[in-house]
Amino acid sequence: MALPFLYNWRNLFVRKTPTILTLLVIAAVVGVFTWMLGFAGALSSSLSVAGDEHKLIVIKRGATAESNSAITVDEFNKLSQLDAVARDPATGESLQSPEMLVQIALPRVRDNGKTTANVAIRGVTPTAFKVHRNVRPLDKVFDVGALEVIVGEAAAKQFGLELGQTLNLGYGSDRGYTVVGLFSADGGPMESEIWGYLPALMNSYNRTMYSSVNLRLREDADAKSAVDQIKGPAIQLEASTEREYWETQSSLINIYLAIAYVLVGIMSLAAIFSIANTMFSMVAGRTREIAMLRTIGYSGTQVLTSFLIESILLSLLGGIVGCLGCAAWLALAGNTKDMFGAKTFTTLAFTIRLTPMIIAGSLLLVTVVGALGALWPALRAARVQVIAALREP
Amino acid sequence: MQLRLLYLYRNLTRNWLRTLLTCAAVALPIVIYVLSAAVIEGLESYLDNSAKQLRLAVTHKSSIINPLPAGHRAKIESLDPTRTRLTAVCGLRWIGGRVENVSTPLSTIAADADTFFATYPDHQLAPDEIEAWQRDRQAIIVGRATAGQMGWNKGQRISILPTLPPYHPIEFHVISVAEDAEDPVTNWFRRDYLEELLDETGAPTGLVSFLFVKCATKADLDHYRVAIDQFFAGSIDETKTQDEKAFINEYITQQFNLPRNLAILCAVTVFVAVMAAANTMSMSFRDRTNEFATLKSMGFGRWFTFVLIQSESLLLCAAGGLAGALVPFGLFTWTPLKDYPVPLIQTLYIQPVVCVRAVGMSLLIGVAAAIWPSWQVLRLKVVEALRSLE
Repeated sequence: MALPFLYNWRNLFVRKTPTILTLLVIAAVVGVFTWMLGFAGALSSSLSVAGDEHKLIVIKRGATAESNSAITVDEFNKLSQLDAVARDPATGESLQSPEMLVQIALPRVRDNGKTTANVAIRGVTPTAFKVHRNVRPLDKVFDVGALEVIVGEAAAKQFGLELGQTLNLGYGSDRGYTVVGLFSADGGPMESEIWGYLPALMNSYNRTMYSSVNLRLREDADAKSAVDQIKGPAIQLEASTEREYWETQSSLINIYLAIAYVLVGIMSLAAIFSIANTMFSMVAGRTREIAMLRTIGYSGTQVLTSFLIESILLSLLGGIVGCLGCAAWLALAGNTKDMFGAKTFTTLAFTIRLTPMIIAGSLLLVTVVGALGALWPALRAARVQVIAALREP
Repeated sequence: MQLRLLYLYRNLTRNWLRTLLTCAAVALPIVIYVLSAAVIEGLESYLDNSAKQLRLAVTHKSSIINPLPAGHRAKIESLDPTRTRLTAVCGLRWIGGRVENVSTPLSTIAADADTFFATYPDHQLAPDEIEAWQRDRQAIIVGRATAGQMGWNKGQRISILPTLPPYHPIEFHVISVAEDAEDPVTNWFRRDYLEELLDETGAPTGLVSFLFVKCATKADLDHYRVAIDQFFAGSIDETKTQDEKAFINEYITQQFNLPRNLAILCAVTVFVAVMAAANTMSMSFRDRTNEFATLKSMGFGRWFTFVLIQSESLLLCAAGGLAGALVPFGLFTWTPLKDYPVPLIQTLYIQPVVCVRAVGMSLLIGVAAAIWPSWQVLRLKVVEALRSLE
């Protein structure tokens, strides 16, 4: 029969000060870890929305992203050679959307506009809404020809853009465009953008060429052969599926994640040492008690397990406090963040949410930390010399 | 005095395990503190060096990304034809670039050949290198960290695939690996060469990403910062002029607000260290309540015991702080890690002042950790303490 759980639980509260202090150490480490997991998780889930295998992004050969590509009207017309492109069943038009990408520097709301970020502005035609299936306007769409734009929900939240607000767009920042609606894109990268009517924006930015063309392929079409045809001698442009396009953008996340894991690793080590310290002191103070337990009949292994459980309990408590603290921080300091796409040069705004997976991950870390920290002290407890311990004052 | 020091020493070494664990629990957060502070400090000193150079950055008002017409240079130069206050204007065009089949992005900039050295004297090239730049239109100065990474040497021919037009690989001759430049990463080549290539491919020419203006004095800097924007106000290509430090800061914070996030990380690590040290101090106080009571009854007085606890805590945390500061300092100064490219700030250099500050911080941690037990010992009632046989 194992040592009763209540015994371990009650022991934690006998000496409150070490318990609370160790708990706070663990909570701090878990808080940081949860935040970092949330950040990475939000970013990758945003990017995973952009994973449509039947949407091709076509840019100029040699360009690395839509923002540094220029496609002429001629080249756009050549794309109609592709028979893999889907057609709108109602109108029969081929679903290829010419688009223009420019940027505007907008201040971030959460630090009162002290820092700015580069937000993408995309000039589109009504075809774009049929090509980008996950983009859904929530209010009205911009009128053809009018100086109006619609804004993605994430961008609106991160940069404080509201309905009726005027943005100064255009090459000379002199054309006032009104925000007439918001749109949702399932939390994907497009939700961080501002969309407007293509010819109007091209005019405002003195452009004669498109930045890119987005195509929707037929359901039965093979993306690879379509890409090969686009790269081939007839068309000579660069193409990739949406998934491939964003895969390379997310490579920067891996660097940040690696740094985050190193940091959390170092802090977890500090937490392990802290726990070990506390547990050693606990064992030292309870040698008589342990000896008593041994005489009653509990084995050394059961004593060891008991201390491990105590430590894991303490760590879990700390972990829960840490997660709550992180949630409180996100609620207070704002959970919308943005990240620079190193290739696109525009930001990706996303919302950090603590999912059950993240919390489970943090609690798992905390369990491991608690177990590792208590291992040596628990071994020492298991090896207590019964008679000598009973004798000591 | 010697006796007191001996007593202090004996107390700390009484329980080696506890002392070591506490030192480690303080040292580790200090490691993170040192690394974060080094990054913030590195950014600050990079920005301050730019400030010393008295350069203004002129960008397009609408966005840092939109290019300006190259003709703006002549117009800016016309603001001071004597060249006494406005000493040089250099147009720069960023092309990023990478080597074919290598994914690492490069930072490559085309600069006006004639005014490059006047605007950027901090590159400190040798006279023969300067001469090579003037003579050879395919000249390129590579950053020493980039050269190390790519295996480039002076005199080599290299080929870079630009991120902007022209979309084909460009051939260069490496005329210098800027050993003494502040910036170890960026590569510089001649803008007239770029214009030639753009012209050949039919891409738009006559554009610059930004213009850098070197001023003679600080007063001139402040004057022209306003004057240039006023000059171009109302035109199609309005400008936004800032000093170089503000410009780079804006560029960095656009990507990720690194200084703020690192400051938060520093605060969290200090908190962890304080909690860990306080844990130990409160545990050792509890274990030695009898001892402190005995000392008080012998006549050593409450302030002696107060100082005793504070000194123990200070010593412990100072030892931890020293270890935590020296380890990253050693790693990043004497091992190959020192040239490792870090995103955003390029390479990490740990300034000695940061280490000193970290040790200072660890002393503060020591004081904070000992507050509660030392306060308790001041109020300790001797008789009651001796009575409890814990």
